[in-house]
Amino acid sequence: MSFYSRNMPGFVFSALFMVLLAAPGLELMAQDKDEPEAVLGVVFSEGRRTVDVDLSRADDKSSEFYITAYDLARIFKATKYWKPGARKLVLRIGSKDYLFTIDTRVVVVNGEPVLMRVPARYVDGAVMIPLEFVGGVLSRESAERIELDGDNLVLTIGTPEYNVTGLRFEKVNGRTSAVLTLTDELLYHVDTDTPGLLRLKIYGGRLNTLKMSAVDGKGLFRRVRAEQTEYDAYLFFQVEQSASGFRVEFTDPEEGDHEQNLVIYLEKGELPEIPDADFAGRKMVEIFEPGSMAERGFEIEKIMIDPGHGGTDGGRVSSSGVQEKDINLDIARELKGMLVERLGVEVLMTREDDQFLTLTERGEIANIEEADIFISIHCNGWFHPEAGGFETYFLAPARTEEERRQAREENSAVELEDAEMDPEKLEELDFIIWDMVQNEFIAESSELAETVQKELAEVLTIRNRGVKQAGFKVLRGINMPAILIEVAFLSNRSEEKLLQDQSFQSSVCAGIVEAVRKFSSGKIAADAGAPGTGY
Amino acid sequence: MPADELGRKIIFVLLGLAIATAVFILVARWGKMRKEERPPVVQEVPGETRTITVYYGSRDAANLVEETREITSSGRLEDEVGEAVNALLEKPQDDALVSAIPPGTRIERVYWVEDEETLYLDFNRALTANHPGGSVSEYFTIKVILKTVSANFPQVAMVQLLVSGYPVETIAGHYGVSEPLDVRKWR
Repeated sequence: MSFYSRNMPGFVFSALFMVLLAAPGLELMAQDKDEPEAVLGVVFSEGRRTVDVDLSRADDKSSEFYITAYDLARIFKATKYWKPGARKLVLRIGSKDYLFTIDTRVVVVNGEPVLMRVPARYVDGAVMIPLEFVGGVLSRESAERIELDGDNLVLTIGTPEYNVTGLRFEKVNGRTSAVLTLTDELLYHVDTDTPGLLRLKIYGGRLNTLKMSAVDGKGLFRRVRAEQTEYDAYLFFQVEQSASGFRVEFTDPEEGDHEQNLVIYLEKGELPEIPDADFAGRKMVEIFEPGSMAERGFEIEKIMIDPGHGGTDGGRVSSSGVQEKDINLDIARELKGMLVERLGVEVLMTREDDQFLTLTERGEIANIEEADIFISIHCNGWFHPEAGGFETYFLAPARTEEERRQAREENSAVELEDAEMDPEKLEELDFIIWDMVQNEFIAESSELAETVQKELAEVLTIRNRGVKQAGFKVLRGINMPAILIEVAFLSNRSEEKLLQDQSFQSSVCAGIVEAVRKFSSGKIAADAGAPGTGY
Repeated sequence: MPADELGRKIIFVLLGLAIATAVFILVARWGKMRKEERPPVVQEVPGETRTITVYYGSRDAANLVEETREITSSGRLEDEVGEAVNALLEKPQDDALVSAIPPGTRIERVYWVEDEETLYLDFNRALTANHPGGSVSEYFTIKVILKTVSANFPQVAMVQLLVSGYPVETIAGHYGVSEPLDVRKWR
């Protein structure tokens, strides 16, 4: 925006009016000559979209840029107070007030005057604040980190909350290990489907992709690449072909150290003998963490399928009247048949017909039946017909480790009290216990979810939306690995047709059956002491 | 056609043209005057406003995207929250985004219990009755409400969603919302 362009003299208007009679379209072209003099790129580290803001200069000779108070308030979510008579503007950013007076160089910060190089201005109805205020005064006073790159005109706001903070490689006794520093003991998943590539997914992980990808590989690790999605962080390790086995574990933090180390050990050697056909062609064998998979290993004998919704709860209803509860039941019935036929397992359903069940009842039925895994079948929906694809969910821990520890301490205090228990506290206790029940199975649930998603990707051509974690009530309190599959979108016209299509339903079921088979045999392999562990 | 009738017709047409021209000039002059009298565009309105962040979903239901809005900064939490939630119900400015609140939803009342740091948001029945269903949409409905609250009103720790004055077990059958929700979990 230029400072001297808005008030066009009257004769220009008259002339414009004549032109208007002939060519109405010219008005826009004639008025739209305000080109921004410079553009400031604003980068928010907490996930807000990067925005561009127009800057202007006081005059052609000046090197000082100005930003409008309007844009400034927008960027910093400020409250602004304008006294037109007094020509004063107050911006409240964070907990501080910044008082500007038009045409003066003083900005008063919570009562303390600070001098700027150039004054604030009022031009064409907008208060213009010198950009130096942002890089100088505001950057010093703000609790948030504010960094202004004056040469490239880039403003960075905030310090991102990374929880995956570092990566280094160490070589100990001929073993190369990659050590990741995490602020929390986050859940992770490793897969080695692509030969020579080890993919580590960290649920809820946040990392600086540039920093992580810049680390040079060492030993058996050739290269590393990091990716960040909205929910999770990924690290892709390219490893030497001679790497034959690996192990991933959290090591005990050192005394006084608040960070967690997630260590990936690689071992060199001949490819181990792999008995199971599923693993044929792989260059690596995943060795499960002791204490989770291996110890709990069992063969799947009984499966609980939960067709979502039912009865008065129809779930999603498509524009043409197709009800989600019916599709869920159709798919569940076919899945049941296929599981029995192909895997010879016992399969039960939370509902066999159009019946209403509460979310807790579904889990209770599975617990009473002591099923080995719980699979809930749903169809997705969205506010726009464009969205489509399949996704698999498992339960997000309701509380963080620290919160659970606190809850346990509070609970023990409750338990120690005499019989006079407050019914409210009892309820709270009950809630926490139910939370913990599914937490115990989260690692296995994530494994099952990943396997299902991968197998569905093999048989379906619609968009793969990935594995997600969510705080679903239906998955809480379930005493077994539990997942929820959103097969496709009923709000998407073509997927609505697919969902009613027999062959699509069969493909979905075939994918799930294959995943259950692999999940189950993976367990058996782990239980028998997977070959090639070496550790 | 008789000659005098033709003459009358010509007079009518000319008269009509004259009136039209006069009206046109008057309107044009008036328009020009108005343009000249108009004060410069004022961006800062007298009184306090504040800029808040509100959240919408992308069309493919993959991302949460924010936009900013100006609301009256009354200093009264209930009113400001009401305005913020109302913004969520409206169409986003960016065409590539969609509101993640079911159509027809209105916020009826906002209660703030300061001792418990809990905000009660009471919606009309459309929140549940018009919900499109599906995990993704239910997730986004809860997320945009809670994230809008936590991004703009840091004093709020918990949010209890109500429908016509009462807690409900769930909005669309996947997430439990009968208890107050912790805003930190939904950031």
